[in-house]
Amino acid sequence: MIVEIGHYALALALGVSVIQAVVPFWGVFRQDRTLASVGSSAALVSFALVALSFAALVTSYVRSDFSVGNVVANSHSAQPLIYKLTSVWGNHEGSMLLWVLILTLFGALVALSRRSLPPRLRAGALAAQGLVAVAFLAFTLLTSNPFQRLSPVPAEGQDLNPILQDLGLAIHPPLLYVGYVGFSITYAFAVAALIDGRIDAMWARAVRPWTLLAWTFLTLGIAMGSYWAYYELGWGGWWFWDPVENASFMPWLAGTALIHSTVVMEKRDALKVWTILLAILTFSLSLLGTFIVRSGVLTSVHSFATDPARGLFILLILIFFVGGSLALFAWRAPLLRQGGLFAPVSRESALVVNNVFLATACATVFVGTLYPLLLEMVTGDKISVGPPFYNATFVPVMVPLLLILPLGQSLAWKRGDLLGAAQRNAMAFGIAVLAALALLFFTRGGPVLAPLGVGLGIFLVLAAGFDLGERIMMRASGWRAMLSRARGLPRSAWGTAFAHAGIGLSIIGIAAQAWSTEAITVLKPGERLTSGRYTIVLEGMSPRSGPNFRAEVARFRVFSGDRELAPVEASKRVYTARSMPTTEAGIRTDGLSQAYVSLGEAQDGGVAVRLYDKPLILLIWIGSLVMALGGGLSLTDRRFRLAAPKRAAPTAAAPQPAE
Amino acid sequence: MMIWAIFAAMTGAAIFALLRPLSHGRAEGFGDTADARSLYRSQLKEIDRDLGRKLIGEDDAQAARTEAARRLLRAAGDEAGAAGETEPSLRRRRASSALMLSVVPLLALLIYGLYGSPNLPDQPLAARLEKAGPQQDFAIILARMEAHLAANPGDAKGWSLLAPIYLRQGRYDEAAKAFAAAVRFGKPDADLLAGLGEARIMEAGGVVTAAAREAFAEAVKLDPKSPRARYYLALAKEQDGDGEGAQAALAQLLSEAPADADWAGAVRARLERMQADAGRKAVAALPEAARQQAIKTMVDGLAERLSAGGGNLPEWSRLIRARTVLGDKPAALQALKTARERLADDKDALAAIDALADELALKEAAP
Amino acid sequence: MTIAQPTRPLPAKRRFTRKQRRLTLIAMAGAVLSLAAGLVLFAMRDTIVFFYGPTEITEKGVLPGTRMRLGGLVEAGSVQRSDGKRVTFAVTDGKTSIKVGYDGLLPDLFREGQGVVTEGVFEGAGRFKADSVLAKHDETYMPREVADTLKKQGHWQPGAAGAPAAPPAKP
Repeated sequence: MIVEIGHYALALALGVSVIQAVVPFWGVFRQDRTLASVGSSAALVSFALVALSFAALVTSYVRSDFSVGNVVANSHSAQPLIYKLTSVWGNHEGSMLLWVLILTLFGALVALSRRSLPPRLRAGALAAQGLVAVAFLAFTLLTSNPFQRLSPVPAEGQDLNPILQDLGLAIHPPLLYVGYVGFSITYAFAVAALIDGRIDAMWARAVRPWTLLAWTFLTLGIAMGSYWAYYELGWGGWWFWDPVENASFMPWLAGTALIHSTVVMEKRDALKVWTILLAILTFSLSLLGTFIVRSGVLTSVHSFATDPARGLFILLILIFFVGGSLALFAWRAPLLRQGGLFAPVSRESALVVNNVFLATACATVFVGTLYPLLLEMVTGDKISVGPPFYNATFVPVMVPLLLILPLGQSLAWKRGDLLGAAQRNAMAFGIAVLAALALLFFTRGGPVLAPLGVGLGIFLVLAAGFDLGERIMMRASGWRAMLSRARGLPRSAWGTAFAHAGIGLSIIGIAAQAWSTEAITVLKPGERLTSGRYTIVLEGMSPRSGPNFRAEVARFRVFSGDRELAPVEASKRVYTARSMPTTEAGIRTDGLSQAYVSLGEAQDGGVAVRLYDKPLILLIWIGSLVMALGGGLSLTDRRFRLAAPKRAAPTAAAPQPAE
Repeated sequence: MMIWAIFAAMTGAAIFALLRPLSHGRAEGFGDTADARSLYRSQLKEIDRDLGRKLIGEDDAQAARTEAARRLLRAAGDEAGAAGETEPSLRRRRASSALMLSVVPLLALLIYGLYGSPNLPDQPLAARLEKAGPQQDFAIILARMEAHLAANPGDAKGWSLLAPIYLRQGRYDEAAKAFAAAVRFGKPDADLLAGLGEARIMEAGGVVTAAAREAFAEAVKLDPKSPRARYYLALAKEQDGDGEGAQAALAQLLSEAPADADWAGAVRARLERMQADAGRKAVAALPEAARQQAIKTMVDGLAERLSAGGGNLPEWSRLIRARTVLGDKPAALQALKTARERLADDKDALAAIDALADELALKEAAP
Repeated sequence: MTIAQPTRPLPAKRRFTRKQRRLTLIAMAGAVLSLAAGLVLFAMRDTIVFFYGPTEITEKGVLPGTRMRLGGLVEAGSVQRSDGKRVTFAVTDGKTSIKVGYDGLLPDLFREGQGVVTEGVFEGAGRFKADSVLAKHDETYMPREVADTLKKQGHWQPGAAGAPAAPPAKP
C-alpha cells in the first residue's frame, strides 16, 4: 500500500503544481495578492507530496519490495543498506524522482522565505517554478515511472550496476542535482522579473543567495563526480571533456558568471538585462545537460542505457523552457529600466570582463559539445571532439581571465586605480614568477607549460591571501584592531578570497598532472614495477568475497624512493547478480600526491598491473572544496550593501551619480 | 477500499491547503513598494550601525546613505503605478477555487488510473520470507538461503545445501562456486568434491575438464568408494579414448554396488550405451553392404521393441532419425505417426517430435 | 552583447563619453568572442576525429595515417594477448573486419561479440593501431555510433545490444 500511496502522491503533486503554475501568475497579472499567495501553499503542498512519494520509494528499496519493477531492476536483497538507499537514485526513474524532490524543495524554500522576498516577485517566481515542476512531474509519471508494479513478484532483484555501488555515487548525483535545480530558482526569478517588467537591486539581492547555493553545490557535485570517476573507473583519469561532464560544466561556467554579474547589479544597479539573460541561459544549460545525459544523443564515457522516447520528451521540455523564456526576454527586456554606466577602470568593469571571458569560455565548450551533433545532422559524418580541442580553445580563453583576476579583485568599486591594484598584486606576481622559473629550471626537459600553470595557480592563491590580509590590516594597528576588522569584514569578502584561492589550488593540481607518469606490465608475486617516484612490489593474490561480489585481491607494498608507505590493495571484482566485472583501483595517498594501482587480466601466474604516479593530484579536489567553501561563506553573508565601498580609496568617497 | 479512502483523504488535505489562502485573504494589491521602502530604511539603519562600530568610514557611510536614499525615493515614485485593481476579486477567487477542486483530483485520478495498481499489496522481502512455508514458492526459500549466505559467506553447511540446488536448476557456474565454497570453508568431504567436479563438467558442457578431474581425484583419495567420483573418472577415461578401461571401471563399480543403490540403474544404462557404442564402432569397421545390413538389423530391433509398447522420446527420435537416414521414408513416417500417438500426453515431447520432423523434412500426407 | 544603456537624455558631452565607453566595452567583448571563434575554427581543423565503421573505411577511402575512431563488434575468437599488455582483436560490422592492435589494459566490459569503440590511427591494409579502447558503464549500453554502423550493415538486433563507451585508457 505504501508503494501505491507514493504513486498517488506523485500524481497528486502534478495536479497541485498545475495550480501553482496558474493561480499565482493570474494573481500577479491582476494585482491580486490573495491569488498570488496560493503559490506559497501550493509549493509547500507539492513538496510534501513529492517527499511522501520519495519516502515511499526509499521504503520499497530498503524493504527489498520486489513487486516494484524499479527495485527489481536496480537492487538486490544482499546489498548493504547504504547501497540499497543509493540505488534509489542510481537509476533513471529514481534519479528523476530525486530531481523533482529537489525542485519542489527549492520551491518550498522560496515559499518559506517570506521576509526576504517581495511578495510579487515570490509569486511570479513560484509560478514559473511550478511550470518547471509540471513538466518534470509529467515526464517522470509518463515516461519514467518508478512505481511500476510487477506481478508475479520476482524472488530476487538484478542488483545495482556494480560500478555505481560506491559511496561516490551516494553523494555525487544529489549534489549535482541541487546545483542544477537551484538554477531553476534563478531562472524562475528572471522570468518573474520579465513578466513584472521590474528589476532592481532588490531582485539581485533576492536572487544572489539562490545562485550562490546552486553554484556551491554544483561545484561540489562536479568535484565529487570527477573524483568518483578517478578512483572507480580504474584508468586514473579525472576529466575527459566528455559530453556528460561538459553538461555539468557549462551551467557551472554560466553560473559563475551569474554570481559575478548579480554582484554588479546589487551594488551598482547595472548589468540588469545581461544578468536576466544569464539567469535564463544558466538554467537552459542545466536542462541541456539533463537532455544530453538522459537521451544518449551524444556518446559519452559515462553513458548508461538510454531511451530515445525520453530524450524526445526532454527535448520538448528544453525547447519550451528555453524558447519560451528567450521569447519572453526578447519581448520584455527592452521595457526594463536600464541601469547605470560605470568607469572603465573599476571593480564593476573588471566583473564585466570576467563575464565576457566566462561566457566566451562557456561558448567554446558549448560548440565542442554540440558540434558533433550538428555535423551529423547536416552531413551524416560522425566525429568526436576530445581534449585537444578544448586545450586549444577553452584554455587560451581562461588563462587571460585568471591572470587578470587578482587585479579585478583588488580594484575599487566605481572608480578604481589600476596602478594601485597592480602594485598591490606585484608581490604575489613576483613570487609566482620566481616559483615558475625555479620549477622550469628544476624540471628541465619536462613539459614547459606545467611550471607556468603552477605559477599561475600560486599567483591566484597568494593574491587572494594578500588581498584579504591587506583588508584586515588596513588602517588598523595592533592585533585587537586587526581581529575586529577581520571579524567585521563581510563574509562575502572571505568567500571571494576563498573561491579565488580555490581556483588557484585546483590549477596547481591540474598543471602538475603534466608530470604524472604511468607504467604497465605483467607482475608475478615478488616482482616490482616503478613509475615516477613510486615503486610497487606484488606480494600476492588472494580471493575474497563481499556481500554481493567475489574479488581477486592483489596486495602490493608501496615505496616512494626508499621510504616504504602503507601497503595497498587493488582488486578485480565480479558482482554475482549480473556477473559483471569491475576494477577497484588501489590508491595510496602520499602527501598531496597519489600512487594509483589498477589491475588487468590475470595471466600465466601473474597479473597485468598499471601504476600511475599522480603528483599533487589531490589539490584538484581540495581546490574545488575551497571554492565551495568560499561559496558557502558568501552565502552566510546576511548583510546587504546598496553602495558601500568598504575599502574605497579616498577618490571613490565622493558619490558618483548612478545615472 | 481502504486505499481509496486514503487517496481521498490525501486529495482533500491537499485541496484544503490550497484553498486556505483564498478564504482568509482580503482583497488587496501588492505592497511591494512599502516592502522596498522598509528594506531601504533598514539599510540606512544598518549603515549607521556599521558606522557606529567603526566598520566603515564616515565618507563611505555618507556615500552609501546617499545611494540608499536615492533608491528609496525611486521606490516611492513607483508606488503610484502599483496600486491594485481589486473590484472583481471575489469572482477570481471563486474561479480559482473551482480550478483547484477540479484540476487537482481529476489530473491525479487520470494519471494514477492509467499507471497505478491499487490492488497490489506491498511485498517486502522479509515478509515474504516469513510467510514462506514448504508449500511456498521455492524461489523464496532459495532467496532466503542466498541472503543468509551473503551475510555469512563462511557457512560451509549452507553452501553444501545450496550447491546441489543450483546444480539441479542448471546454474552450473554458481553450483561450482557453491561447492567450492563448501569445500573451502568446511571439512574435506568426498561427496562435496565429487559434486564440485560434476558441476564443473556440466559447466564445460559435459567435458571432463582437468579441473573436474582434480576434484574427483581428491574425492577418491578421501573415499575410494565414492561412486560418483568413480563414475565420472570412468567417463574421463572414455573421453580420453580408453573405451575398454572405462567399461571395466563401470563394470567394477556396478559389481561393488549395494543392492539398493539408486544410482546403479544410471550406471548400468551408461555401461550399456558404451557397449552399444563399441558395437557401433565395430559395425563401422564392416564392409559397406554388411554394415548397412548390420545397422538395419539394429534399427529393426529397436522398432520392434518400441512397437511392442513403451518407448521414450529419445528412443523414438533415434528410430525416426535412423529410418530417415537409411532412406526408408515410409517407415520413418510410420514411426513418426506411432510416436505421436504414444507421446500424445506429453506436449513437450510432441513439440520435440514436430521439430524433428521439420528438421528431417518429413511430411505426412495428412497431418 | 548589450550590457547597459542609459535611457534618459544626457548632456551631449557626457553622452559622447558614455557612448565611447559602451563602444569600448562592445569592442572588447567582440574581440574576445572573435578570438575565441578563431580558436574554435582553428581547432576544428586539427583536433576532431571522425568515426567510421569497418566497411566505411574502405567505402570512404580513409587514408592510412588518419586519426579516427573505429567502432563495431569485437569479432568472436579474435582476441589474442601477448606479453601482458599487447592485445590484438578484430572489429567487425559483419561485412568487413579490421585488425586492431592495442597496448594496455582493456576495460572491464570488453568482451568478444560485443560492441566496442577504439580511437587511434588507421594504418592501411585493414590494420588499426588503437591508443585507447573506450569502456562502458553498463552492460546493455551500446554506443549510438556502433548501433548505427551495425544497422547500416544490417546486423542490428535491438535487445541484443551490449557495449561500451569510454575512458581513453592511454597505453
